[in-house]
Amino acid sequence: MIANYFIHILILVGIYSILSVSLNLALGYTGLLNLGHVAFFGVGAYVSALLNMVGVPFIISFLAAGVVAGAFGLFLIYVSKKLKGDYLALATLGFAFIVYSLLLNLKFTRGPLGIPGIPKPEIFGIVISSNLSYLILVLVIGVLTFLFFNKVVKSSFGKMLGALRDDELNLRVLGKNTTKLKYYSMGISAFFAGIAGSLFAHYITYIDPSSFYMSELILIVTIVIIGGLASIEGSLIGAFIVILIPEVLRFFALPSSILGPMRQIFYALVLIGVLWWRPKGILGKVDLQ
Amino acid sequence: MNSLIIGSIYALVAAGFSLIYKANKFFHFAHGSVVTFSGYMFYLAFSSLNLGLVFSSIFALVLAGALGWGFYEGVYLPIQKRGASKAILLIVSVGLMILIENLILLFFGANVKVLKIGSYESLNILGAIVTPLQLVIIGVSVILFLILYYIINKTKIGRDLRAVSDSKELSSIVGINSRRVLNFSFIIGSFIAGIGGILIGMEQNLTPTMGMILGIKGFTGAVIGGMASVPAAVLGSYILGIVENFGIWYLPSGYKDAIAFILLFLFLLLKPEGLFGKKMERKG
Repeated sequence: MIANYFIHILILVGIYSILSVSLNLALGYTGLLNLGHVAFFGVGAYVSALLNMVGVPFIISFLAAGVVAGAFGLFLIYVSKKLKGDYLALATLGFAFIVYSLLLNLKFTRGPLGIPGIPKPEIFGIVISSNLSYLILVLVIGVLTFLFFNKVVKSSFGKMLGALRDDELNLRVLGKNTTKLKYYSMGISAFFAGIAGSLFAHYITYIDPSSFYMSELILIVTIVIIGGLASIEGSLIGAFIVILIPEVLRFFALPSSILGPMRQIFYALVLIGVLWWRPKGILGKVDLQ
Repeated sequence: MNSLIIGSIYALVAAGFSLIYKANKFFHFAHGSVVTFSGYMFYLAFSSLNLGLVFSSIFALVLAGALGWGFYEGVYLPIQKRGASKAILLIVSVGLMILIENLILLFFGANVKVLKIGSYESLNILGAIVTPLQLVIIGVSVILFLILYYIINKTKIGRDLRAVSDSKELSSIVGINSRRVLNFSFIIGSFIAGIGGILIGMEQNLTPTMGMILGIKGFTGAVIGGMASVPAAVLGSYILGIVENFGIWYLPSGYKDAIAFILLFLFLLLKPEGLFGKKMERKG
């Protein structure tokens, strides 16, 4: 019972780690103030769930979730590539609202009813039904994601993203194509948000638009900021802290009508507190511009 | 007529947004939560404490103004003093929005609160069916906007505010107390949003999440008109009200909110200075 509960928490930590590490690539490493990351998460969840439910194998649905979310990321940066700072933040936030209202209104997403009965993943004939096996799946994908991002940010491409964040004009003077860098950064970032969405959908087995709105958005942004901008390890620590600590509230046996708001209040206070006293976060290397 | 009513409500939110942005130069996203807060404080005073219409309104509006003041003095100013960028302040304001909304949810519950005030017999004016309350909404908004216009353009504090808006440094050199002016912008902006909260509560009932969507609508109105000018923001809100109403003829009603989101997105991308605003730096 308790073991199962911990496995559940660890699965969520795993999924949110992938989500926040991917946001950190755009937000921390590249300096693109993207508040629309939750939209990619949602797109990934819906794409994977809908495809899988019409008979597409899990692996393909899973990858499609990443690819479609990545395409959304490319679209978003294509239209907003000229914006900076708080204007970019608002435009991306507006984008997340648009995706939310599409999920809420399109026929095939079933609006506010959401999509129930999403099947558990089946990989090469093995159905991942128990929580423990799901944890292993999340861990495998999480570790691969972590290794990938670690490689990316340490590569010359990663250094270039940092230069783009610190001084875009200078990088352009040096003859680098900064727009192309933004495309790569957002595309990769959104791809991984999409696969995190897929993992989320097949684990929870029920999704509706409200899972991809403001409260989730604030959660992801809080994780990245508390862990620190431009730090992959920071985002992992952030995911642990932000998912685990509100679980303490559970031991007080509060009704869910109190538990929900309490958790949101906790996220909001942590977010404001970190931005107040230590805007760099725990392991962060740069400030939010 | 519907466009005019809904436009008035958006404009009450937008006026404060724009006033605060004009003076402070950052997006105070939590402004929407003031609307909810004021509506619920009015409900508390009117329905639970039976204070009557006038005292309940005063109670709610004083608290709304105080909340705006608290946002600035208690949160934004200390964070600003630590050298925070506009981006940080924007994210802080999103956090404040979530904080206030969930505090209201915690204390008042998720169920809809109904404010029943006076008679609701509809009138027929030039073929349009309106309730007296809806006429009050339009009338109060127009009077408020005229007063606000007068304050900004004809009074000393308004002149100071325009000076601070142009250059905080220069205005402090000539002896303007910018902190007082910025506090003023938050208090007045929140006061007007508070009036919006009470009127919306009477017209459409109260829910803890109403402030967020109204905040976005008011914000969209301000962006459409031009963030840095209060009259432009007010005009933009009426335009949003009209576009929403006509959009519903062509689109399923569920897309009503999407219209505002899409307009917000398009304006930020293509015309961030708004329809009536002066050209400004996109860097923000």
